[in-house]
Amino acid sequence: MIVGSQKSIDEIWDMIKGFKKVLVFGCNTCVAICHAGGEKEAETIATLLRMRAAQEGKDIAVDFSSVMRHCEPEYFEPVMEDLKKYDLILSTACGVGVNFLSDRTGTIPVYPGVNTSFYGAVESPGNFVELCAGCGNCILHLTGGICPIARCSKTLMNGPCGGTNKGKCEISKDVDCAWYLIVERMKKLGTLEKLAEIQPARNWSTSRDGGPRRVSLEHIRAYEEKEAANTDSAGGKK
Amino acid sequence: MAAESAIKMKGTHLQRVAALKETRPYSPCRAACPVNTDVQAYVGLIAQGRYNEAFEVIRSVNPVASVCSLICHHPCERACRRCSIDEPLAVRPLKRFALEQASEYRRDRRALVEKTRDRSIGIIGSGPAGLTAANDLADLGYKVTVYDRHPALGGMLVSAIPAYRLPREALKEDIDDVIAKGVEVKTNCEIGRDISMKELSEKHDAILIAVGLSLSRSLNIPGVEGPGVMLAIPFLEDVAFDRKPDLGKKVLVIGGGNVAMDVARSARRLGVKNVEMVCLEGPDEMPAWKWEVEEATEEDIKIHHRWGPKSVVREGAKVKGLEVVKVLSVFDSERRFSPTFDQNQTTVIGADTIIITIGQMANVSFLKDTQVRIDDRGRVVWDPKTQMTGAKGVFVSGEVVTGPGAAIQAAASGHRSALAIHLYLQGESIEGKLPTYEKEKISDMPADVASKIGREPRMKLRHLPPKVRCESFVQFESGYDEKTALTEAGRCRGCGGGAVVDAKKCMACLTCQRVCPYGAPVVSAWSEIRPEFCQACGLCAPECPGQAISMVSYDVREIRDTMASIVGAVEPKRPDPVIVAFLCMRHMGTSGFSLPDNVRKVPVHCTSRIDIIDILKAFECGADGVAVVRCSTETCKYKGIEDRVSARVDRAKQLIGMLGMEAGRLEIMNSDSGAENPYSGVCAGFSGKIKQMGLRTNK
Amino acid sequence: MKSGSNLEKVILSGQPAVTAELGPPMSADGHEVIKKAKELKGFCDAANITDCQTAVVRISSIAAAVLALREGLEPVMQMTCRDRNRIAIQADLLGAAALGLKNCLCLAGDHQVFSAAGRLKGHPGAKNVYDVDTCQLVGILKKMRDEGLQEGGDKLEVAPKFFIGASWTPMGDPIDIRPMNLLKKVNAGADFIQTQGIYDIELFRAQMAKIVNMGLHERTAILGGIIVPKSAMMLKYMDSSVAGVSVPKALIDRMNKAKEAAGDDKKKARELQEAEGIKLSIELIHQVLETPGIKGVHIQAIEWESAIEGIVKAAGLYPRPAFAE
Repeated sequence: MIVGSQKSIDEIWDMIKGFKKVLVFGCNTCVAICHAGGEKEAETIATLLRMRAAQEGKDIAVDFSSVMRHCEPEYFEPVMEDLKKYDLILSTACGVGVNFLSDRTGTIPVYPGVNTSFYGAVESPGNFVELCAGCGNCILHLTGGICPIARCSKTLMNGPCGGTNKGKCEISKDVDCAWYLIVERMKKLGTLEKLAEIQPARNWSTSRDGGPRRVSLEHIRAYEEKEAANTDSAGGKK
Repeated sequence: MAAESAIKMKGTHLQRVAALKETRPYSPCRAACPVNTDVQAYVGLIAQGRYNEAFEVIRSVNPVASVCSLICHHPCERACRRCSIDEPLAVRPLKRFALEQASEYRRDRRALVEKTRDRSIGIIGSGPAGLTAANDLADLGYKVTVYDRHPALGGMLVSAIPAYRLPREALKEDIDDVIAKGVEVKTNCEIGRDISMKELSEKHDAILIAVGLSLSRSLNIPGVEGPGVMLAIPFLEDVAFDRKPDLGKKVLVIGGGNVAMDVARSARRLGVKNVEMVCLEGPDEMPAWKWEVEEATEEDIKIHHRWGPKSVVREGAKVKGLEVVKVLSVFDSERRFSPTFDQNQTTVIGADTIIITIGQMANVSFLKDTQVRIDDRGRVVWDPKTQMTGAKGVFVSGEVVTGPGAAIQAAASGHRSALAIHLYLQGESIEGKLPTYEKEKISDMPADVASKIGREPRMKLRHLPPKVRCESFVQFESGYDEKTALTEAGRCRGCGGGAVVDAKKCMACLTCQRVCPYGAPVVSAWSEIRPEFCQACGLCAPECPGQAISMVSYDVREIRDTMASIVGAVEPKRPDPVIVAFLCMRHMGTSGFSLPDNVRKVPVHCTSRIDIIDILKAFECGADGVAVVRCSTETCKYKGIEDRVSARVDRAKQLIGMLGMEAGRLEIMNSDSGAENPYSGVCAGFSGKIKQMGLRTNK
Repeated sequence: MKSGSNLEKVILSGQPAVTAELGPPMSADGHEVIKKAKELKGFCDAANITDCQTAVVRISSIAAAVLALREGLEPVMQMTCRDRNRIAIQADLLGAAALGLKNCLCLAGDHQVFSAAGRLKGHPGAKNVYDVDTCQLVGILKKMRDEGLQEGGDKLEVAPKFFIGASWTPMGDPIDIRPMNLLKKVNAGADFIQTQGIYDIELFRAQMAKIVNMGLHERTAILGGIIVPKSAMMLKYMDSSVAGVSVPKALIDRMNKAKEAAGDDKKKARELQEAEGIKLSIELIHQVLETPGIKGVHIQAIEWESAIEGIVKAAGLYPRPAFAE
């Protein structure tokens, strides 16, 4: 899932204070799970903003609502008309949701209420850890299922640097050394010898470095495009 | 102020949860109630001190609420899941308490119902079935006339239930509720004597026969005819209407049912010191309720078990006693009533008066020569699917067709008949549309959940000492005082009032599963909170990041939505700070509700139900300080909620800190719920602290 | 000869090699480099010119290396993976070669969070690169030198001829992987290795035994790392906080004793500890050089370059071998 964390009220206030009618718009999937931007947090933020507006003597109406996901148009299409009643939408979705909604709200700005952090897992309640960097070329089979790209501070590919200290990364005692974990894991798996092979310099073009990415499934797209063409010629089934 | 506004919102609140409740299995108490009274809901309201709303819940399905609050056989209590932990909840006494507390509100709300339908219904009989039907039909806008042969309404309730169990004032409250709707009453009016069925048919568009079982059965034994032998119903009617019968020094009551108990105990109260009973059954076989037997025994009533009446022994005309024969068995191998006797074992039980209470039957002689068919055993022929007799437009209800039963069962029948009549008058088919009151109930408490629930003794009712109570027909049972009632109401586990997930909003995040102390939620595609596990603590709902969880008994948004009215106007020049106090209502006691004026109280089922947003809302509405006051760990109804509530308060402190507010404006406090006024001290102290800190001001 | 550097020559000669370290200043003051170069010149075979160590901005390794070279001190330029992608790295390597640099030590580089330490603000918010790691960087240097090809495959008319070095933390965590770690660097093409500072000679020798067993000491020149301790506090800090360094209690006790001998005299305490540190370093140099498979020592006197002369002399490693051009 995508993990995010709430922006501070000060930062949000600075964004919204010039508007009159603001909707805090939650997303009830990933960011809800990490208690950053689900309906509950949207209502919390809305309440805090109203209180702030009262403190500052500003007349700003702040409502909240939410939908299950901001990253598929079908989810927010039913509330699109409601959204248009506002002069600012503060989306507490991840950056994906903010972008996606922003492309569809015409003259109404969509601002972010959440900092999108990473792709992670819920290690334990309230503990979210980054486990994948979305590099587009997975090598987890080579590293005992532990990703050095996401989890090594230096994205090292050929073993630990000299900074490993008691199993922790040199950047912090609170960060596990990914390579320490990889070695321990591969020892258990009996595949430690695999690490002797030198991994050549990576081709980062599948990652963000290759520019904005898109996954296109030809078999689905071809059908959809054909359907669209058919309905258009038939007088607009849509 | 808060209570009033909450009552105004009652409709929406109850409506909001009512639909939801229908989709869920009922709490066992509710399922067991013949009219499905939402016991758990009104007990919950009582516990919060919301007595008027509790009354509304009770009265919404039960027009003989006061009667039931005193004499109901309370199947709800037998169904109570606390039975598997300690003792069932004292539902009936709590109902009585709520009705007593709401009596003024109840009287004030009585109002005429506009007659919107130009059809009239004649109801014969004003017992629980007739009254209930009259109530429902009046509510629907029909013209309703109730006929009763007695001088007062109430049927058996007024004529046969002795006043020491059912004071007439209580019965009157129920009757007045119905009459106030604009129901026409014809007392002292016996059908077939004062008015014929034919006249009735011409006068009304539909007729309901709800005459109950007004005839006592007698025994066919030698000597039964003559003075000194009485039947139960005429005896009880004499008692009810103050016609003091001459009973002599010793009374023997034949029978082992509840009516026999009423007769025997009434005889004691008429001054007869020596009252005995004789019945076929052994102590464990008697049909009378166990508590009736115990109370009768307390009143020095001796019961001769397993003897059958053989003959009335007379000396001349005067009754000397009853010859009885030993019972060998009461039931056959298939538990059917089929007594066998040892004719060689007989004895005589001496008595001056013998009262026969071996069952009742209907008096349907007035139906002779009408289209209503009577079978060869004297019973009205009817169709239980439509409540209708063979005669078009003539309906039946209550014991006259169902046989002997409890008042609340008759009321259930009354509801069915009223709806049947309504459908009939609308020209609609009836079959399949009448309520069955048979609902799926929440299954038994799983053992591991039961093990997590503390034992709490049931609050005892006080009875007058047997000696005192036998001196008059004064009600012998005292109701709960407020403190006792609130304590007892707090014992309710809220079965069926717990958490429910809106699958459309749930993203299966597992939060509820992690939070629940009882292992109730199971999350797959979405969370399902298993009602048999759920203890309705409400810990999960405020944690749900998608706000997908509601409490069936209590909408989680209620605090937030009513906060503005609870706080009220906050004057800029207020002398004292406005404090919003969220108070655990657990063992809150009577005085727990009386707090300084500047403290706005929000009683909560448990502090586990307080959401961070509720706290923020209090500040948003202008509170200078917010106190979360909970009962102690020892008295907490739930286990292990404190840390989560503290974590929420800490988070709320952080959030108000982001607005530059002092963390000290929010405090979590414990109070010993056993104390006399547990919360006023801590609230006053907190209020003083906030005053020192200063009042909040905005630009 | 792969590079013709002085260091390579010393190693090829079979004599124990001595490298030292020169930390460039945090300003554009080239004289500082020159001053330090003068202090080191003649007492080591080559000196590492650190590449923004602890991620602190300093005169770049290449520029400082050229300044040192002009002073007659052979530099080992350092190249970290932290700050440059493979394009910048290769461009710098070409430039360095063109300027006459012949040794290059490949490193991952300390993470940028290290830059904000003590009173330094540093640049903890910097974006790091790590396009390639040390092993890959070694491979790139080797490919450029031996195949005349850029990493991407484009041909180099004139290949940069570097004597390729890499760092190694023999006692780093997880210790089991460290020999393999070295193997990979050697396989990638490391001609010489400089190790992390060694205090625990027993443990070091145990690791070296594995290396010798693997035959790696024949394929690369391993120079044992000596960090000259200045105080008991420094030893304690390195023991507790520096990755891959453990300091036996006996050594810390020795330093403490030296400190205590000065009583309340702080200046004297410092002098006594420094003297003890130098003594200790000399002992360590001997112990390291006696370890099978070792080809030399890499002596780091951090911000204390002036100490090198005394140490090298006292260790009997002076004069340094000289070779005709």
